[in-house]
Amino acid sequence: MNGVERRKNLQRFSILATFSVLILIVFVISMNTGFSRLSPLEVFQTLFGMGNEKQQLILFEFRLPRIVISLLAGAGLAVSGCIMQGISRNALADPSILGISHGAGLMVVLYLSFFPTHLDVPVLFLPVLAFIGSLLAAALVFGLSYQKYEGLLPTRLVLTGVAVAAGLSALMTVLSLRLSRELYQFVAVWLAGSIWGTTWDYVLALLPWIVVLFAFVYYKALVLDVLSFGNNVATGLGASVSKEQVKLLAAAAGLAAACVSVSGGIGFIGLIGPHLARRLIGPNHKYLLPASALAGALLLLTADTIGRTILQPSEIHAGIVVAIIGAPYFLYLLARSNH
Amino acid sequence: MIVTENLDIAYDQTLIVKQLNVEIPPHKITALVGANGSGKSTILKTMARLMKPKSGHVLLDGKAIHRLKTKEVAKQLAILPQNPTAPEGMTVIDLVTYGRFPHQRGFGSLTQKDKEVILWAIEATGMEEFAYRPVDQLSGGQRQRAWIAMALAQETPILFLDEPTTFLDMAHQLEVLNLLEELHEKEQRTIVMVVHDLNHASRYAHHMIAIKKGTVVKAGTPMEVMQPDIIEEVFGIQCDIIQDPRTGLPLCLPYAISRSQKEPVIV
Repeated sequence: MNGVERRKNLQRFSILATFSVLILIVFVISMNTGFSRLSPLEVFQTLFGMGNEKQQLILFEFRLPRIVISLLAGAGLAVSGCIMQGISRNALADPSILGISHGAGLMVVLYLSFFPTHLDVPVLFLPVLAFIGSLLAAALVFGLSYQKYEGLLPTRLVLTGVAVAAGLSALMTVLSLRLSRELYQFVAVWLAGSIWGTTWDYVLALLPWIVVLFAFVYYKALVLDVLSFGNNVATGLGASVSKEQVKLLAAAAGLAAACVSVSGGIGFIGLIGPHLARRLIGPNHKYLLPASALAGALLLLTADTIGRTILQPSEIHAGIVVAIIGAPYFLYLLARSNH
Repeated sequence: MIVTENLDIAYDQTLIVKQLNVEIPPHKITALVGANGSGKSTILKTMARLMKPKSGHVLLDGKAIHRLKTKEVAKQLAILPQNPTAPEGMTVIDLVTYGRFPHQRGFGSLTQKDKEVILWAIEATGMEEFAYRPVDQLSGGQRQRAWIAMALAQETPILFLDEPTTFLDMAHQLEVLNLLEELHEKEQRTIVMVVHDLNHASRYAHHMIAIKKGTVVKAGTPMEVMQPDIIEEVFGIQCDIIQDPRTGLPLCLPYAISRSQKEPVIV
């Protein structure tokens, strides 16, 4: 029996390693591509401190922060989705069910419609607002779907989430009608998921959230496993289902909110990342969580790299690239789950 | 030892179970029987603290079960709910491993003891050859045995099962029931189950509790409960009770629907 276990562990390890290698490859490609091209050799030279000033500026100040943001946001969104899918026992669940990006979007639009000042000022302040907005939306969805006797029912959560998201986006549409063309464009770009926070400040703002929340969620891997059996079995095994659900959903909301606040409304990563990971590595969250993080990071970095290169010199927002890949995948999942 | 005290159970505002007082005899197999919608499953779930009662108590060794730490209860009482489902791709051995959850802390690395119990549970349910198969690829009977193995791995003196034989064909039903009987004989575990088939209850249980509309009509040995008038009241059918030639236990042979029951038949 130990032989089987060992073979399985080796398999899991090689899946995680493959993801890491792929990320590294896309990382190097992404470093090379952009408005001014740098050869791989120049990239490596610059990374190890041997490039000229212009090369250093391009890599360290423009490309690297954006790449790191993509990796972090992709990982965060995927882990958030992984939690959502585990708790709701629904492979089609993702952070958007908590109204995350809609809450963030509405907050941004609200701010812009009441303080339509220069874009420079709010840009620094926007991630904070977006973060608060998404947490408020998530809290609203929780509050509406929590029942005194039964606790949190996944179906109710999903339905409430859809309703709240629809309501928020309707409000957002109404408000954005009043915006100036310039501001409206800004909001549209934001919602489309351009990775727009591209300086080291944003990396530093995002990193602690990702690290702390991921550590917490990973510590709860076993609890997540048990919760994915459903409320009855989980309670029977001695998990405090309601309490754990609330804690983990709060962590999922926090992760997604932090990511969305710097990356804009990127959907589908939270859906595809964990789903892909689950198919490759199985349902055990001890391996599934890191695999989801890597898959999400890989997907978003790839999407952003494609978006930056395919129509040079203009770019397609990462959120749109993700949606182009994600929507058919989502339909495929839907068709498959109908069987 | 499990006792209920004046238990009221409600879904939303509708009272399903009224003033229920039952006692589960220790080290015996108890069967809860009743018609569809009689509340037997609800009672089982509430006794296992999966549902909160509206009022009243369930006492586990004298303490209110809903106030105990759920993890501590899970060391005393394992419950197999109706139609449990495992995440896609989960293997039998992984499933059984989660039975150790109440005994683990934090990350849940397995001790030698945990590993021994897991192997024992897999052997006791005859699942050795399926240990590395995904649960969702097993037949109904095998799957049910895998879930029972998980409950066994919890190592609890009390085991609850909610309709463990539903959706199984006859051979698999007997397989599961024989397994439970064997567990009772070897380990003296207290087993409480909801069963649909009266004759299974009579054959395998030492104690039967017949429930109608959330109240106990009769509790006692199969001999005491398997009476034509009681069965008529609980199930709304008329039947002959004969003696099983093999075991000497009462068998129910229904022949008609009671007159008072005929009117509101809604299919």
